[in-house]
Amino acid sequence: MTETDRAVEDAERARAREQGGGTRRFGLPPAGTWAARLPTRWLPDELGVLLVLALLIAGIGIPYPDFLDSDNLLTTAHNSVYISLMACGMVFALAMREVDLSVGGSYAMCLVVGALLVREGVDPWLAVPVMLLTGTALGVFNALVTTLLALPSFIVTLGTLMLFRGIGLALADGKQITDLPLDDSFFTLAGGDLGGVPFALWVLLAVTAVLTVVLARTRFGSRVRAIGSNPEAATFSGIPVVRTRVQALALSGLTTACASVLALAYYGAGDPTLGQGYELQAIAACIIGGTPLAGGRGSVVGAVAGALILAVVASGLVFFEVPINWTSFATGAVILVAVAADSALRRRGRRRASRRQ
Amino acid sequence: MLDARSLVKSYGGVKALDRADIRLRGGEVHALVGENGAGKSTLVRILSGTLAPDEGSVRLADRAREGGIAVVSQELSLFPDLTVRENLFPHRPPRRFGLLDRGAMDRAARPVLADLGLDVDPGTLLGELPLADQQLTEIARALLRRPRVLVLDEPTSALPAAAVDRLEQVLRTLTERGIAILYVTHFLEEVMRFAHRVTVLRDGRVTLAGVRGEEIGVPDLVKAMLGAAPPLPVRRERAPADGPPPVVLSEVCVPGRLTDVTFTVRAGEVVGVAGLQGAGHLDALAVVCGRTAVSAGRVGVGDRGLPRSLRDAIRAGVAFVPSDRKRFGLMTDRTVWENTTSVSWLALGRGGVMPSRAELVRRTADLTARLRLRGGPHDVVARLSGGNQQKVVFAKWLATDPRIVVLDDPTRGVDVGVRAEMHAIVGELAAGGAAVLVASTDLAELTEVCDRVLVFVRGRITAEVSGGRLTEHELAAAMQSGADVRSNGGEAHRS
Repeated sequence: MTETDRAVEDAERARAREQGGGTRRFGLPPAGTWAARLPTRWLPDELGVLLVLALLIAGIGIPYPDFLDSDNLLTTAHNSVYISLMACGMVFALAMREVDLSVGGSYAMCLVVGALLVREGVDPWLAVPVMLLTGTALGVFNALVTTLLALPSFIVTLGTLMLFRGIGLALADGKQITDLPLDDSFFTLAGGDLGGVPFALWVLLAVTAVLTVVLARTRFGSRVRAIGSNPEAATFSGIPVVRTRVQALALSGLTTACASVLALAYYGAGDPTLGQGYELQAIAACIIGGTPLAGGRGSVVGAVAGALILAVVASGLVFFEVPINWTSFATGAVILVAVAADSALRRRGRRRASRRQ
Repeated sequence: MLDARSLVKSYGGVKALDRADIRLRGGEVHALVGENGAGKSTLVRILSGTLAPDEGSVRLADRAREGGIAVVSQELSLFPDLTVRENLFPHRPPRRFGLLDRGAMDRAARPVLADLGLDVDPGTLLGELPLADQQLTEIARALLRRPRVLVLDEPTSALPAAAVDRLEQVLRTLTERGIAILYVTHFLEEVMRFAHRVTVLRDGRVTLAGVRGEEIGVPDLVKAMLGAAPPLPVRRERAPADGPPPVVLSEVCVPGRLTDVTFTVRAGEVVGVAGLQGAGHLDALAVVCGRTAVSAGRVGVGDRGLPRSLRDAIRAGVAFVPSDRKRFGLMTDRTVWENTTSVSWLALGRGGVMPSRAELVRRTADLTARLRLRGGPHDVVARLSGGNQQKVVFAKWLATDPRIVVLDDPTRGVDVGVRAEMHAIVGELAAGGAAVLVASTDLAELTEVCDRVLVFVRGRITAEVSGGRLTEHELAAAMQSGADVRSNGGEAHRS
């Protein structure tokens, strides 16, 4: 046993002694047993939102078993892909106390850029990196303007939201871009299914997995969370705040461009009016998924689950035959209920954790 | 006018005030001085009625009843986005037909503003005024209540020298009206200038009660504030290493803050900086940390020149422990290991893009063991005690193996035991070859940890105290006068 191990154990034993009275009173296992060793650091965060999602699916599926049909579930999930991808990037922006309202605009602009290239005869597979680069560049632009003007990213991206969409509309001349070579392998593969599951869902799965690791385990992800936790302390620790902001907003642009690529492949056309209001849905998905606007924390898995909840609700409303004019109302109500349920669960979890300590 | 007798106030066993008396007379400025924590603020709060004493009584003369006591507090309590007029009448502004009556407000405010020599349009937004005028606005607001007793709690700590002269005029005008003024400060120079009488507090007791200003001098005040000279602390002699010093400042100027400041810190040396608020000692630290631009002079930090930013300084080997740890030092909602790796890994990139978490935690455990931190690497910092939180701040900088350590009030708000541990760590750092710079509001701390202390007065180094002369009294006197004290050991920089 090294000197260090011994010191850590001593400290833990001392703490257990100090708080031993409280532990016994509540009849919970004392610190140091298996219960305290569980990775509770992240478990309850996603548990709440996943529970809400499962309850929703069950709540619709029991009266309407057709809803549980695998085709229907896959379609519902596929509908959420675009917002899910935006939400994956948005988590990074929110976790460092920034926000990217421009994703709806960048989505449309990247889509138009890609569609135009393909219509002009560029190989669709070559258009993909161009679209991804465009989206990344838009994110970098957001970050640079935010930094240079020393304005909140909320205001800057509110402006660039319209700016980017405007560029898309102008490039497309306000019309849908059609006449694309739909028999190209890009449209049949990326817009089709792979192993019975839409290709887009595989991409979402991969992006979710990679970004979960990036946020939780890498230096960049740690920087993002550190800055969001206490921006002043981050500066005083010498953490490169500006560089991290550029990277985070670029990532948000990149995942948005990813969504554009998949949309181009699936719809086989470039519609500059697509994606209106997606930015707010993406933010709602993040918040439902447990990423607070105050930053410091974030969950990519939670954000995707949040986007899935929104899609399940939209699809469920069809099953319940809710009049079309009430769908917005119902979606809003679900967002409120989901956020309330999640925060209630989280509070309970925290109380339990503090009692155990 | 006001007579307070044997006031006692305890906070959990600690006596903040112990049978303190104070008598204020109309037409006099009565200064209240004492070190930090001597009980000045407690006394002010009891006099103003926001705190009830455990024992004792406060009596007001009949004449004073109607107007009562007005307090102008240390921190400005104004609204920068409202107009001067709106700031002057925060509650119950004059109204006509339910709307604010600007005319009546201005009529009431005009004579008071004129008294204070504050020539501003009442419609100006307060935030656009210079700081001195904001302070005067706050005094005007207090005077509009027509008090018979006015308490000014460290009014000049935020003011430039010219504004202090104006304040002197204001005090004279007010005392001519028969108002009693209690002037709380730690600038002894101001006491000698403004005050008719002085009361000194030390550890909650009155050590000098209402003495007339002309009967005493600065040394008497220092003695009353600090008590009899304590025995000299035993200092271990350290031998600073040879070779180029890691910190070099040569005739450095920062407009309005530092003038021709020259000093070096060698490896293995602990150098303190001391001064009253705004004297420039903290600006010298800011220069070393890359937080201040320099208009003239040469700076060397580590192997480089003047750091352009704090990040730049950190990469040159600087560790900076700021005084406000909750705000600048810690992520309190995060675990210990996330905090301790925030400089070495997140800022300096040691460990690469994706180091193993177990490795980061193990390194944290090494540090927490070295610092005897009570709490494991996975504990959330907010749950630790203040002393252990400060150890986390130290740990995150120790993790970088700094060559230059800059400490601003490193033991603020920690208990005596932790304080001693921190001092031992500072000693170890110096023994390990680091150059250490310390600022502290606690003079005793400087005498305990430093090899020598540079005293700043109005942006210049006016004295260097070291060896056997490094005592609280010597430092306090040097900070106050800035001219008379020369140390036998070191050379005094003057220009």
